[in-house]
Amino acid sequence: MFFRAYGYGLKRCAREKYLMFWNILFPIILGTLFKVSFGDMNEREFMFQQIPVAYVEEEQSQQEFETLLTELEEENQLVKVQKVSGEEAKKLLREEEVKGIFWNGSSITLTVTEEGMDTSILKSIQEQYEKTVGAFSEIAAEHPENLQMVAGNIAKQWNYLKENSITNRNMDMMSDYFYALIAMNCLYGCFSGVNCAVAFKANLSALGARRVVASTNRFVILLADICAKITAQFFCTVFGAMYLKYALKVNLGDETVRILLMILIGSAIGVMTGVFVGSIGKIKESVREGLCIGVTMIECFLAGLMASGMYQLVETYAPVINRINPASLIVKAMYSLNIYDTYTRYNQCMLGLLAITVILCIGSYLMVRRERYASI
Amino acid sequence: MAEKVVEIENLVKRYKELVALDHLNLTVEKGEIFGLLGPNGSGKTTAISCILALLNFDKGSVKVFGEEIQPDSYRIKQQIGVVLQNVAVFEDLTVQENIDYFCGLYIKDKTERKKCVEEAITFAGLEDFRKFLPKKLSGGLLRRLNIACGIAHKPKLIILDEPTVAVDPQSRNRILEGIQKLNREGATIIYTSHYMEEVEQICSRIAILDKGRCVASGTKEELKAMIKTGEKIHMEVMELTPEQLEEIQSLQHVYQLTYDKGMLEIRCSGGKHNLVRILDYFQQKEISFGRVYTELPTLNDVFLEITGKELRDLAEG
Ligand SMILES: Nc1ncnc2c1ncn2[C@@H]1O[C@H](COP(=O)(O)OP(=O)(O)OP(=O)(O)O)[C@@H](O)[C@H]1O
Ligand SMILES: [Mg+2]
Repeated sequence: MFFRAYGYGLKRCAREKYLMFWNILFPIILGTLFKVSFGDMNEREFMFQQIPVAYVEEEQSQQEFETLLTELEEENQLVKVQKVSGEEAKKLLREEEVKGIFWNGSSITLTVTEEGMDTSILKSIQEQYEKTVGAFSEIAAEHPENLQMVAGNIAKQWNYLKENSITNRNMDMMSDYFYALIAMNCLYGCFSGVNCAVAFKANLSALGARRVVASTNRFVILLADICAKITAQFFCTVFGAMYLKYALKVNLGDETVRILLMILIGSAIGVMTGVFVGSIGKIKESVREGLCIGVTMIECFLAGLMASGMYQLVETYAPVINRINPASLIVKAMYSLNIYDTYTRYNQCMLGLLAITVILCIGSYLMVRRERYASI
Repeated sequence: MAEKVVEIENLVKRYKELVALDHLNLTVEKGEIFGLLGPNGSGKTTAISCILALLNFDKGSVKVFGEEIQPDSYRIKQQIGVVLQNVAVFEDLTVQENIDYFCGLYIKDKTERKKCVEEAITFAGLEDFRKFLPKKLSGGLLRRLNIACGIAHKPKLIILDEPTVAVDPQSRNRILEGIQKLNREGATIIYTSHYMEEVEQICSRIAILDKGRCVASGTKEELKAMIKTGEKIHMEVMELTPEQLEEIQSLQHVYQLTYDKGMLEIRCSGGKHNLVRILDYFQQKEISFGRVYTELPTLNDVFLEITGKELRDLAEG
C-alpha cells in the first residue's frame, strides 16, 4: 500500500512541470548567472582586493619582513604596500585609504582600526612572521648547523600562509552564493509540501475528502506522499549540485556522502515546511504558496544567497537566527565540511537541521490529526 | 426483514447558524437503489459526508452495516465505494493510473486489482482514454472517470453524489444502466440527485429532502399515491371566460385549475375518465381547442404538494 502510493507519488512529481521548473531549471539558471558574473568579478576582485596597507620603517628594522611583504605584494597580490612615514601612515589609516599599518622596528607591530577579514589576514601575516623569525634567531644562536633546514621550513610556512590566505579568500567570496543556492534548492520543496497537505485535508480539497473515506489509513497515504516529494526534491537538488560541481566547476569539496546526507535532510525540511504551512487552518492555496516563497527567500537571504557576507553579519548581530535558519545551517554545514578537518561543526549543523525537521513534523501532525471536520 | 445497510437517526448538523440537517431519519436496506432527491442546498451532500464520517454532527447517530461509523472504521470503509460530488482525481496521473491508485487503496492483490481496473474502465466506457490525463478529458468523461475510481473495488455499498452532472444524455443513460447493473450484482446504492427523472428511472426507494428534513419517502408509487394529483391535463384554448373556468372547476375530480397564455392546466384527483368528461364539456359549449395532452404526476408534483414549491425550478435556479 505504502510503496504503491509512494510510486504514484513519484510519478506525479516527475510529471509536474511547474515544480520541475522551480526545482531544476531555476537553480541551474541562477547558478549559471552567478558563475558568469563571478567568473568575471573574481579576477577583477583579485586585483582590487589586494589589501592596502601602510608600511613604516623604524630603527632596527628587519630586512626579512620587508622581503616577505614585497613577495606577498608582487607574487601573490595579497597586499598593496605603501612605504610611508609614520605620520603619513596614520593619516592614511584615518582616511581609510589603508586597512592597517605595519611598523617594522625591533619587533613588528600592526595597527588596525576595525575587525574584519582583511585585518585578520594582516594579523596572521604578522603573527606568522613573529613565530618563524623567533625560531630562526634561536636556532641561529644555538645550532648554526641546522640553519639551512630551518630556513627552508620557514620559507615553506610562508608559502603556506600565502596560499592559504588566498584560496580561503577566494572560496569565501564565491562559495557563499553556491552553498546558499543549494540550500534554496532544498528548501524549494515547500511547494510540494503545501501540495501534499492540501491534497490530504478533507476540508481543503476533494482529493483529501476522497482519500480520507478510503479504507487505507490516511497517515499512510500522507506519509507516502511526503516521502515521494522528499525523494523528488532530493534528486532535483543533487542534480543541481552536480551541475554546479561538474558543469560550473564550483568546488564543493569531496565529502560526497555527507553532502548527500545534508541535502536529504535539507529537502525534508523544505517539504515539511510546506506541509506545515499547508496544514494551517483554512486559507487559500495561493496564499500558502506565497507564504512559503516568503519564508524560503528570507531564509536564503539571511544565509547569503543575495548578498555575500550576510551570514557573518547575522552572526555578529543576531547569532540565534543562524542557529535556527535551515538555509544558514546548510551553508554552514557545507562550509564546515570544506574548511575544518573535524566533523564537529558539520555534525552540529546536522543536529540543528534534524531538530527543525522533527519540530515541523510534530507541528504538522498536531494540525492535521483531527479526524472529523466541522465543515467541508 | 431486510438487512439495514445504512441507518440514520435524528441526525442534526449545523454549520454555525445554519441547520443543514434537521433531525434526519433514513434507512437504506440491502439491495436497494436508494434515491436521495432534493433541491440545491437541501443537505444531500451533508448527509453523505456524515455517513462517511467526514463531518462531525451535533446530534443523532449514523450506522453503516450495523455499526456506528468512525473515521478509523477501515473495515466498514473497505465495503463502501464513494463517488463524491466534486471530482477527485490526480491531475498528473492518467485515467488508468488514477483508477489503479484509488482501487489500490482498497485492494492490495495486484492481479485482482488489475482485473478490477479493467472492469471499471469498461464500465465507464473509458477504453479509448486510458492514457489520457484528466485535463484532456471533457467534463462528462471526467465525471465518468470519477465514477470509475469510486466503484472499481466492487464495494457492497456505493454512494454516488450527483454523479451525472454535466454528462450528456447518452452517457447518462449508460451510467444509470451501469448503476442498475452493479445493483443487480449485489451492491446497495445510495444515489443523490436533483434530477427527478433519473431518480424515478432507477431508484427502488426514494427520500425527498428539503431544508435538511426528509419530507417524504417510499417507492415512487407510494410517493405519488401520497398526493392528491392523479392526473394533469393540459389544453391549448384561445379564449375562456371566468364563468367557463368556474364551470370546469366544478366538474367532478377537478381540484385545481390554472389558465395562462392560452394554456389550461387541469389537475384532477384520482378517478377515471377525467379527460372524456372535460372534452365533453368543451364540445357541449362549442369551445374550440388545440393540442391536448395528459400527464401522470411526477416527483416534482409530489415535492410541490408537500413543500409548496417547485423542485425543478429550485434545482435549475
Ligand atoms: N462548509 C459549509 N459551511 C457552511 N454552510 C455549508 C457548508 N456546506 C454546506 N453548507 C450549507 O448547508 C446546506 C446543505 O448543503 P449541501 O451541500 O448538503 O446541499 P446539497 O443538497 O448537496 O446541494 P447540491 O444539490 O447543491 O449539491 C446548504 O444550505 C449549504 O449552503
Ligand atoms: Mg451536494
